[in-house]
Amino acid sequence: MSSYILRQANNEDIPFLAKTIMEAEKSGTEKFSFSTLFNKNEKEALQLIEQMLEEEIVGCEISINSFKVIEFDGKVVAAFAGWIETFDTEITSGLLKSNLIGYTFGKESIHFFMGKSNLLKEIQIKREPKTLQLEYLYVLPEYRGKKLTNELINKHINDARNLFLHLKKVQVQVFKNNSGAIKVYENCGFKITKVFKSKNEEILDYLPSNEKYLMEKKLN
Amino acid sequence: MNRSEILEKIGIILTSVLGHDNFELQENLSAKDVDGWDSLTHMIIITEIEAKFEVRFKLKELNKLNNMGNLLDLVSNKLAEK
Repeated sequence: MSSYILRQANNEDIPFLAKTIMEAEKSGTEKFSFSTLFNKNEKEALQLIEQMLEEEIVGCEISINSFKVIEFDGKVVAAFAGWIETFDTEITSGLLKSNLIGYTFGKESIHFFMGKSNLLKEIQIKREPKTLQLEYLYVLPEYRGKKLTNELINKHINDARNLFLHLKKVQVQVFKNNSGAIKVYENCGFKITKVFKSKNEEILDYLPSNEKYLMEKKLN
Repeated sequence: MNRSEILEKIGIILTSVLGHDNFELQENLSAKDVDGWDSLTHMIIITEIEAKFEVRFKLKELNKLNNMGNLLDLVSNKLAEK
């Protein structure tokens, strides 16, 4: 890692983090949930994600504070968010994210979403309190295969353990179609512990897959 | 509008968004006590409350909400500011 620098994300990384969120949501497809579920085009959705990141909320995935990035020669090439669920706040990351989206996207988008929310119920995975949650991984294509994800995961685990000595588990959620990410997580010691599947295939108009895996890594 | 009128109106919104009224509408009710009040429906519930009372919440205010009592305080303050 001689020319690589792993660091906490900051405000200047917002455009890369928004791209990270978009690419991770798309999971290798063209289905970008922040666009499809909220009736926004891709550019508008990206701008709204940038706005959400600017709010500097702590304790969920749409937070600069949660992201760690890797720089190569002064350019950010990888990012991954992580936070300990309901550690900094009592309010769950799900509700924080929900407040952020509702506040930023506005009434019309939420009304559009209202008609779709039932589709998501079956693949909605509850996050376990006091576990390290990882979400939104993106590595620029030309920097893949260099074990940058391992570095990001290890740093997240080490930092989380320094904050919370009793940390026992790391969880990550991944769409079934994202075999690349699943392999990387398996190589990092994660195992698939639960499968969530929606039988309603209409979901494929909005999301990359109708199946999601919960993957876990136990810590000693 | 007094507190119990606000509460009653919120109750109607909850019932309509969640599709049931299996909850005790009281001050210490929180999202986790109510079937189906999750991150998906929360967004809708809050948006409906804003529309019904014609108020707009700040993000900081939303992130401080722990229970129905907090929500009632917030709505009555917003109404008083109008």
